[in-house]
Amino acid sequence: MFRFKTLAVALAAVLGAGIFTVPSSATTEIVVWADETRGPNIREALKAKTNWVQGYTVTVRAFANFDALKDAIDKATATTGPDIVVGANDWVPTLAKNGKLAPLTLTAAQRARFSPSQFYDLSYKRKLYGIPVDVNNVAMIYNTRLVTTAPKTFGEMVDYYKANKTSKSLKAGLCVAGGGMSWGAHSVASALGADAYFFNSNGTINTGRVFNPTTFGNNVKTYLLDGNKSNGFFPATDAGCKDNFLAGTVPFAVIGNWEWTDYTAKGFTMNLMPVPGVNATSPGKAFGSVSGAMLTSFAKTRGLEAAAKSLLVNFFGSTEGQVAYQKIEKRPPAEKGAANDASVAAGQKGFGAAAAAASVPQVGAVLNGPSGKSYWDSLPAYWTAVLVDGKDATVEARKLAAIYRANLALAKGDL
Amino acid sequence: MLTTLIRGKVAFVIKAISLALITAVLLMLTQSAFAQEQYAIALFLAIAIILLNYTYFSKKRVPLKFFLPGVLLLTAFVITPILYTVVMSTYNYRTGNYISKEQAIERIKALAVESDPDGTAFDIVVGRYRGEFALLASDINNSSYFISTVSDRIPLDPESLEIDEIGVAQSAPDFTPLPPGKISSSKAASLRFKFDGEYFLTIESLNVGVVLRQTLEYLQPTDQFRSLITGALYDDNGNGNYVNVDDPEEKLEPGWRDPAWFSNFARLVQDDRVRTPLFSVFVWTVVFASLTVITQFAFGLLLALALNKPIRGRRIYRSILVLPYAVPSIMSILIWGGMFNTEFGAINEILGQQIAWFQDPTFARVAVILVNLWLGFPYFYLVCSGSLQAIPGELLEAAAIDGANPRQVFRRITLPLLLQILSPLLIASFAFNFNNFNLIYLLTGGGPKQQLDGEIAGATDILISYTYQIAFGSNIQDLGLASAISVIIFFIVAAISLYGVKRSKVLESFS
Repeated sequence: MFRFKTLAVALAAVLGAGIFTVPSSATTEIVVWADETRGPNIREALKAKTNWVQGYTVTVRAFANFDALKDAIDKATATTGPDIVVGANDWVPTLAKNGKLAPLTLTAAQRARFSPSQFYDLSYKRKLYGIPVDVNNVAMIYNTRLVTTAPKTFGEMVDYYKANKTSKSLKAGLCVAGGGMSWGAHSVASALGADAYFFNSNGTINTGRVFNPTTFGNNVKTYLLDGNKSNGFFPATDAGCKDNFLAGTVPFAVIGNWEWTDYTAKGFTMNLMPVPGVNATSPGKAFGSVSGAMLTSFAKTRGLEAAAKSLLVNFFGSTEGQVAYQKIEKRPPAEKGAANDASVAAGQKGFGAAAAAASVPQVGAVLNGPSGKSYWDSLPAYWTAVLVDGKDATVEARKLAAIYRANLALAKGDL
Repeated sequence: MLTTLIRGKVAFVIKAISLALITAVLLMLTQSAFAQEQYAIALFLAIAIILLNYTYFSKKRVPLKFFLPGVLLLTAFVITPILYTVVMSTYNYRTGNYISKEQAIERIKALAVESDPDGTAFDIVVGRYRGEFALLASDINNSSYFISTVSDRIPLDPESLEIDEIGVAQSAPDFTPLPPGKISSSKAASLRFKFDGEYFLTIESLNVGVVLRQTLEYLQPTDQFRSLITGALYDDNGNGNYVNVDDPEEKLEPGWRDPAWFSNFARLVQDDRVRTPLFSVFVWTVVFASLTVITQFAFGLLLALALNKPIRGRRIYRSILVLPYAVPSIMSILIWGGMFNTEFGAINEILGQQIAWFQDPTFARVAVILVNLWLGFPYFYLVCSGSLQAIPGELLEAAAIDGANPRQVFRRITLPLLLQILSPLLIASFAFNFNNFNLIYLLTGGGPKQQLDGEIAGATDILISYTYQIAFGSNIQDLGLASAISVIIFFIVAAISLYGVKRSKVLESFS
């Protein structure tokens, strides 16, 4: 019987140690993590060339969705983490604070391929942590079946809505179809005077200045309210906006650059423009952020830092790489050469042009304030307070400005 | 004969194969945990393997054969998370303080470099020069070339080099390039090659070298960082960060997880930003759990009483009433969320109103209680129905003979007996709803919240959803504080559960 026992235990040991041996990853394999759409597209684009980094292979792991990817990178360790993660630029401050990202230094020639503001988005405490991959922005589109010419001011759009609300069964005048009521709606808030932050002449954020709440409050009262109630022009929520615009019951919509093909498929032309301001010369600025391919600190632990940096420059940061990738991904490329490439579609170029016309970098250090007080929570709360709850637009604007001011003060050391 | 054989050798072979497979899987997991430096998990799995084989290959330890799987699973999935939460509640575990101190020091050192003012960079070839790691650097704009080793920088004559079409030197005398696939993992990748003064040349990517200088140095004997530019000293502040001695507001990042002992618990009482919302959330949690139990029990009992009498179609009614219990609660909650929508919801359509159910605190709380009533009444209907059958009919008959009317019979006999039977279940239901995260998260997300007035917790947030918000609800996470609140919740629920267990003894006396 003893032999039987010995045999059983030995069998288990052999099975465990032999058959189920976990293969250790080769030191020439660069691992990239991305979400469920970017991951397969990057994998496909990489096939355009075999030697993006000579002597190294690239493995792309696609996660089920963006949140799953964020969760995974938050929990990643040196033994489980990737060498490069493709994600949102506002991940940079948190991941850098937590020691999960490593900085990279670009040569002057490499930097010249991008707009300086794009590096702003991927920097934290004056260190660059990634390469801009694609531009993420929103722009306003108008329905030419309803409106024949592009509006020049915010007031023109409101007048059109009021004049045609009943006759054309309009459900709203302007709504946010893409990007939500904080990120996407910044262009509307900015058009009415409430920018998230302002810049000094040297391109740095002015941490001592916030928007004028009285001006903004008065503009909201003039254009969005009848007395203390919403005039219906701008809904406080993005629910139903896209469907309503496509159905022809909303003349103006803020749409995201990731969904422009949904509109062209329905016959809409990409007459993209910034949200017009109160004056014709001051259009609303949309967040013109970038997705980044970020270098992780795990790359160094795995002995792949230099190779991963080469992949960042040779594939993610090159004209050739971005053209190959954006042909599939169909977002506006961040790299200048790729953005001007003939193969880039009109919709992609339209969003690129809108970003160039009126955009503001998305600076996570300022926007990601403490729980409940971040920019992301506050602006939607303002729309709800004023447009749904009927609270005073100026009083609430003062509260909003106070939150912005506090977040700027908190971010001062991180910029 | 056959039975003996099955009980004997065949049974042993089946047992041996089963154990071999389980051991193999556990060995694989142990190896994986070990590879990922999760030594505690690896140790636990190794102990589990030994215990399993020791127990099941023995003929003597019969009781342990029944208990061991449960004990191992309980340890892995109940006791360990509780202990981990308790330990984490004593750490400053938050955004910026995630990693260990050793890792933080390494990261600070790695970040403490800066480019020269011109951002100088060179095309490089990595290799060995006379046996030593070296970089063959090309300045293609000025057509100048040099080899840099750790200790020396040697100018090169372009005539002696093999230069490609864009002007980058590919080889030089006494210089042997490394194969590209070997560069990143070689020692050369972390070396600092001689450039000029305090500036050194280092490998940035496989074919680009950049000029940098170190800005901070770590002083191991005193556990300090010193700025090589300003001379400023950075001390361990005892709270997971190195801070400037002269300006404690200036700290180096990243920080590390440092024991904070009871400071997270102290914050619950002392920090106004934490204490005020916590108190209101606690009160609402108790109200929510109490109202939920009362309404679910009352409605379930009402229906059980109504259907306890022989009426036509009773079975059909009973089946219909159990349906909400059969539908997955997540689906029900999401459907109810849609029905309460202000603009398009069925409830406002029926009422002909525009009630902002999820924007107004009172309406949101009413909606939460109503939805939970829908989700929970079938359970109480079922248990009340069963319990009503268990009440001896003689008691009710005797009361009726004594002249008690149905209301008196219910108030004096049925209800007290039911409460005696069901009180452990009522207590368990209270404990469950005290932590009913799914309902709050999926229905209201804890809102509405007056963010512009600085509110951190929403009107329908209960302790567990508030804890989740602190831990994961924003980009700035405070897992230490969330763990401290979780520990408090654990003790509250444990106390309620213990009370329930004690009360359950009435069941024994009743039977």
